[in-house]
Parts: sequence; structure tokens; C-alpha cells
Amino acid sequence: MNVTRDEAAKALADIDKATDKVIELKGYHHGAPHFIVWGFVWIFANTITQFWQQYTAHAWISLLAVGMISSTVIGILQGRNAKPAASSMPPGTSRKMGMTSGIVFAFIFCMMWIAQPESDRQANAMISIIFPFLYMCGGIWAGWRLFAIGLFTAAAILFGFFYVKEWFDLWMAVFAGGSLLAGGLWLRSA
Amino acid sequence: MDGPDEIIHQSTRLKIAATLNALHFSDSMEFSKLKQILGATDGNMATHLGALEKAGYIAVQKDFVGKKPRTRVALTRTGRKAFEKHVQYLKDLLEGGG
Repeated sequence: MNVTRDEAAKALADIDKATDKVIELKGYHHGAPHFIVWGFVWIFANTITQFWQQYTAHAWISLLAVGMISSTVIGILQGRNAKPAASSMPPGTSRKMGMTSGIVFAFIFCMMWIAQPESDRQANAMISIIFPFLYMCGGIWAGWRLFAIGLFTAAAILFGFFYVKEWFDLWMAVFAGGSLLAGGLWLRSA
Repeated sequence: MDGPDEIIHQSTRLKIAATLNALHFSDSMEFSKLKQILGATDGNMATHLGALEKAGYIAVQKDFVGKKPRTRVALTRTGRKAFEKHVQYLKDLLEGGG
């Protein structure tokens, strides 16, 4: 059996393409539970803000804590279940991802400190819209589904902020939280 | 330089092996997912999976999820070694000018 250089080059390109596809799917499957957790956090926190305003602060603090703890536990479990393979992520990836999350939260804290939003509605929109833009950035590298979730969520938040007045928090629960939840289920089905 | 692996080199089988090789060692992939990734037909997939299984390169597991039958495919240790050897052959061919 003779293999020409052109055939060898094409075969290697096919291998790279197949490997990239699997890495993309793995990324979707690892990301899915995080999207689902944060979708629930956004749905519950915004719904409570809309209907039971007196509990807003407690609801956000406790639900954000639940989200962070759940995401951390999921990340640790995913890291434990991962076994080495030819195309697995380099060592230390989980730690670097954790550090990245910390930097993002520090950025949000600094941004809110500097900008001093005038209302809860403005603060909610400002914090909420950071994540869809991060998803879009991630989507450029990790796959179009992530980009699409980010684009839809950002558009929904902007529309809600400018055009939905009284029911803004409920809008955020349904469209920002709902799009995260639906996005997570969509990623899981990939 | 070792020669090419004639079983793996065929285009569809190469893509099957590459896809399964990208999974973790103990992981397998559902037949339907593999078919979807490769854009192949049932018949085509069955033929090529049969050839790879006969060579001992893949393991096929059939079970039921509820009442639905499920077929899962994984690269064996032999298959992983054969794939890696074939990839090295292709790289050597390109670098050496074949």
C-alpha cells in the first residue's frame, strides 16, 4: 500500500478536524451543568426580586453562594473524572479556570465600585450582561453554540433594560435565567 | 519507518479512530453520536465499524437504556496503539518527503 504526501497531509487534517470536534463536544458537556446551575440562580433570584422585594438582598447573597459552591463542586468532580488521553487538557487547567473565575468576579466588583449604579435595575443589568459577552468570547474558541447562547442572552438583557420597565426582574428571570437554563440543556444534548 | 496501517488508513475508519482516540481511555461513544459527527450512513458506519472490530481495534457494547437499544463504541488499547503508530507514519512521511 502506497500513501502519497498529499494523502498523508489530508489524513492528518481529517484527524485534526475529528479531534477538534470531540474537544468541542467535551467542552459543551463540561459547560452544560454550570449553565443549568446559574440559570436556576438567575431565575430564582430575579423572581424573588420581582415579587418579594424585601428578601432581595438575602436571596441574591444566598443564591450566588449556592451557585458558586455548586459550580466549584461540579468543576472538582469533572476534574476527578477526567482521565488522561491523547487530547486531554494540559495539567493545571482546572486551577487556571478557577483563577479566571476569581478574576472575573474581582472585575465585576471593581466595575460596580467605580460605576456606582444608581438603581438595583442598573446593577442587575450591568452584572448580568458581563457573562453573555464572556460566553461569546468563549464561543469564538469553543464552538458556535456558546456564542449563540451569549448573543441571545445579551440581546434579551439589553431589550429588557431599555424597554421592560415594571417587570424587568421577571424579564431577567425568564430571558436571562431561562436562556442560561435552556442553553445548558442545549449544550448537554450536543 | 513502519508502513501504513491498511485498516485504519481508509478515510471513514481513520475518522472513526481519530474521534474515538480523542476520548478518555475508558470512555466510549454512542453509535448515533459517532454517526452524526462523521455524517455517515448507518450502513457505511456498520461496515467500517465491523472492519475495525474484526481487527481488534474497537470494542462494541450493546445494552438497553429503558426499552431503547444502545450501541457504544470504544477504541481498544490495540486500536489506540495502531492509530498512534499510523499517525506517526503519516507525520514521518510528510517530514521525510516520502
